[in-house]
Amino acid sequence: MSSSRLMTCLMLSVWFLLATLATATAADGETPVPAGPTAGLERDWTQLPSDEQELEVWDPLEPFNRGMFWFNDKLYFYALKPVAKGYRAVTPVPVRESFGNFFRNLSAPVRIVNSLLQFKITNTLDELTMFCANSTLGIGGLFDLRNNAPREPSPEDFGQTLGHYGTPPGFYLVLPVLGSTNARDAVGQVADSLTAPVPSPYYVKMETAEVAGLETFDTVNGLSLDKDTYEAIKRESLDPYLFVRNGFMQQRQAKVDK
Amino acid sequence: MQLLKRSCLIASGLLMLATLVLAMPSPREQVQQTVEQVLEVLRNKAISGQPRREALSRLIRARFDFAAMSQRTLGKHWKDASAQEQARFVELFSDLLEASYIGRIEAYSGEIVSYRGERIEGDMAEVDTSVHSGNVDIPINYRLVHEKGGWFVYDVIIEEVSLIKNYRSSYGEIVRKEGYPGLFARMEAKIRELRAAPPKGTKG
Repeated sequence: MSSSRLMTCLMLSVWFLLATLATATAADGETPVPAGPTAGLERDWTQLPSDEQELEVWDPLEPFNRGMFWFNDKLYFYALKPVAKGYRAVTPVPVRESFGNFFRNLSAPVRIVNSLLQFKITNTLDELTMFCANSTLGIGGLFDLRNNAPREPSPEDFGQTLGHYGTPPGFYLVLPVLGSTNARDAVGQVADSLTAPVPSPYYVKMETAEVAGLETFDTVNGLSLDKDTYEAIKRESLDPYLFVRNGFMQQRQAKVDK
Repeated sequence: MQLLKRSCLIASGLLMLATLVLAMPSPREQVQQTVEQVLEVLRNKAISGQPRREALSRLIRARFDFAAMSQRTLGKHWKDASAQEQARFVELFSDLLEASYIGRIEAYSGEIVSYRGERIEGDMAEVDTSVHSGNVDIPINYRLVHEKGGWFVYDVIIEEVSLIKNYRSSYGEIVRKEGYPGLFARMEAKIRELRAAPPKGTKG
């Protein structure tokens, strides 16, 4: 387990370095589109001030990524979704919500550490307070007292920490099972796995199978509460791969900027 | 005396202008009005099927500026398109957006919408709303422009993702690879698909 994780970590770091270099050189060649009047409409809607941070996704691994996207799509429809539906049928909503709360609370160390790394002091204290309150009054995190809090903390992870200090996202990457990520956030995910109680070995020693079991359960539980988000995206978009790719990159950018 | 009269006139003019401006519905009020009307249609068990879709369509088309959204979606490609292609695109994109939107809202099952706030900058505004579903809050922001005496939506941001930016990146890539005939064929097929199979609402 630990040696394979080290390998992944190394591989990702190399990719990541290459990605950073390539994005830095690619950024020079772009010219902004000049704004001008268009026929029929009084305003030029092709270019607005809010487009300044237009996001160009860099996807050199597209054929591989599309393969993984196809694989994850099949995994979703033939394995995860049927299991989630069966589970949903036999487990009441409050129970599933409590499990969801439990896993969310369990990953609080990741959010606390990364809030602190970005010197978001209020956010760190908010996360810390919620973690203490939910773990005690909320009975190990089964109940979420967040609704009583004055502010909703913004959840931080290591990918955002890297972004906060100026690391570009690098190329888009679709991992089997884990789904959408990019070079920067993949490195972030590896780093976060060291501070998260699941799967980090520094809290409770667990077998790989136990970790995988818990993570699968977390995913299935989450899916059982989801209202067919992926189905809607797949139904509506001309090319779901492009929709998910852009949506993911926009969302990550917004989280880094926050 | 003359001066006093004139300043009185100006003051009353300004006052009238102020009341006029204050009486105009704010972007937030206009979004709220449309959303509440849509929810009312959805809650009304008496209408269903085609009449319901038509009612929803009327409400959506009265608040969304589909022409602006179409132009924004094509972005730099808009100028390369012929007038005919532009018109066809606006038509298809409006139908597609409407069909997607109706599909989404027809899955409505009692979620609560709250209106958080608004930011106005000149004739542009952003209204923050939040949809409470189960134990999650989904932030949905509307970007609006003031034109023809009202505020009209030109972009929707769901969980930090701008729909129009998203469409722009996908459609741009399809236009580059397959040209307008390819894009239009895909859009026509998608509209048919969406209209033929309305999604089933699922419980969370």
